[in-house]
This record gives sequence, C-alpha cells and structure tokens, in this order.
Amino acid sequence: MDCSNCLERLYAYLDQELAPVERQKVRAHLDDCAGCEDDFVVEQRFLDRVRDCCQEDVAPTELRTRIVARLRMENDAPR
Amino acid sequence: MASDPFETEALSFLDALYRTALRMTRSEAEAEDLVQETYIRAFRFRAQFTPGTNLKAWLFRILTNTFINEYRRKASRPETTELDDVDESILYRHMREVSPGSSSPDPEAEVIDNALSSEVKEALEALPEKFRTTLLLDVEGFSYKEIAEMLEIPIGTVMSRLHRGRKILQRRLYDVARDRGIVAARAMPRPAD
Repeated sequence: MDCSNCLERLYAYLDQELAPVERQKVRAHLDDCAGCEDDFVVEQRFLDRVRDCCQEDVAPTELRTRIVARLRMENDAPR
Repeated sequence: MASDPFETEALSFLDALYRTALRMTRSEAEAEDLVQETYIRAFRFRAQFTPGTNLKAWLFRILTNTFINEYRRKASRPETTELDDVDESILYRHMREVSPGSSSPDPEAEVIDNALSSEVKEALEALPEKFRTTLLLDVEGFSYKEIAEMLEIPIGTVMSRLHRGRKILQRRLYDVARDRGIVAARAMPRPAD
C-alpha cells in the first residue's frame, strides 16, 4: 500500500469501518511511514476533540419533566 | 406508578437526543420541541420497535426523520445553499508546509487543541444541513451503515459527506485560530479553483 492509498482510507480506518484485511494493510503502512502516521494521529485528535465538545450539553431538567408527564398522558389516553 | 422499562431505557438517551437536536436546529426552543415530538412518536409507534434491537438507533431515526420532515422547512435561519469549494488537500498538511515561521513545532495540533468548545460547536452548527446531520450522527457513534439507513442515503454518500464535512469544519476552525492570532495569516489554505 502506498501513501495515497493509505490516506484514501484514513477516515474509514479511524471510524473503524475497514474490513480486517484492509485494516491490517493500513496498519502495516503506518508502521513504516512516519508521515502518514502523523496525519492519522492529528486527524484522530481532531475527531476526538469534536466528539468531546459535542458531549458536553445535557437536556434541561424541565424538558425531562415535561416529556415524562406527556408520556404518562399518552399512556393514559384511550387507544 | 410502576416504571415502564421502555420508558426508562428511552429516557436514558435524552441527553444524547437533546444535544443532537440542539446542533441540528441551532435553537434551544426548537431542540426541546423536536426531542419532545421524538418521544411522543416513539411511544405511539413503540409496537414497531423490536425489543433487543438498538433502541438508541431507533430513537435517532425518529429524531432525524422528524427534523428533516418538519423542521427543515421552517428552519429559523436560512440554509447556506452554496458551499465554499473546500480544498480537498488535508488542512494540516497545508499548514505544515506554510508555517515554518510558527513558534510551534506542531501547528496543526495547536489549532485543534486551542479550539474552544464553543468554537467547535459554532463551526458544526454553521455546516450546511446535510453535512451537519451526517456529522452529528457520526459523533453519536453510529456506523456508516446505521447513518445510511437513518438518512436513507447510500453508504458512499455518508462517507463523502463525512469527509467533506470534516474538511469544512477543519477549515473553519483554522480560520478562527488565524483570527485569534494562533496561526500566521499567510498559512490560510485557499480553496481550489
């Protein structure tokens, strides 16, 4: 696998979407190629940062209360 | 009142549904309405859910469909219809080439690490709707296949939206970093002509 083949598979690799054989080929290239390895590390860092930022928000307590009350109404309503 | 296991499990995904709705609608009030509507629909159609399968994916499918069908039309902010043509070359590589003057040995990592949480969220919310929705489902840990099923698009389209959406996001974060003086102005990547 050359660098361009490897970089084409960058996101599929980081997203855990490659078949095991493909994954192994990418891994083997990364072990031999510091340039590609660097790119993969930085992209992983980017994906982690985006995920972390998005996980911060929590639903307002009133929303939970309102939904629970609404669902009880749905349950009690004649079908 | 005896607790309903379906309700208990469904409510365990409230925070995840809410934060996704918040980024989708870009409005707290609309996000609350969207999430409430999602739960009401989930309850009405709960007979269609197969116990033992992925309840989170099922709820997100309802959320996404509801958003696309009802909220997309009345979005409080108009969508950007034209996308900047984003340079498909990888952002950080470009930065590496043009930032020999940077004091940091690792300018690309610096942009990522220095991006404030609010900046990342704003950049996400600024993405065109199709890219935003796809990225948000990815952030919640769904596979390409699950996202493809939720959005009723081919897996190849999921992959290209993720790729392109991430590149746009990186470019925006880079622009923000440049504006804050973290990276040199001349390092700004230019869109491909």
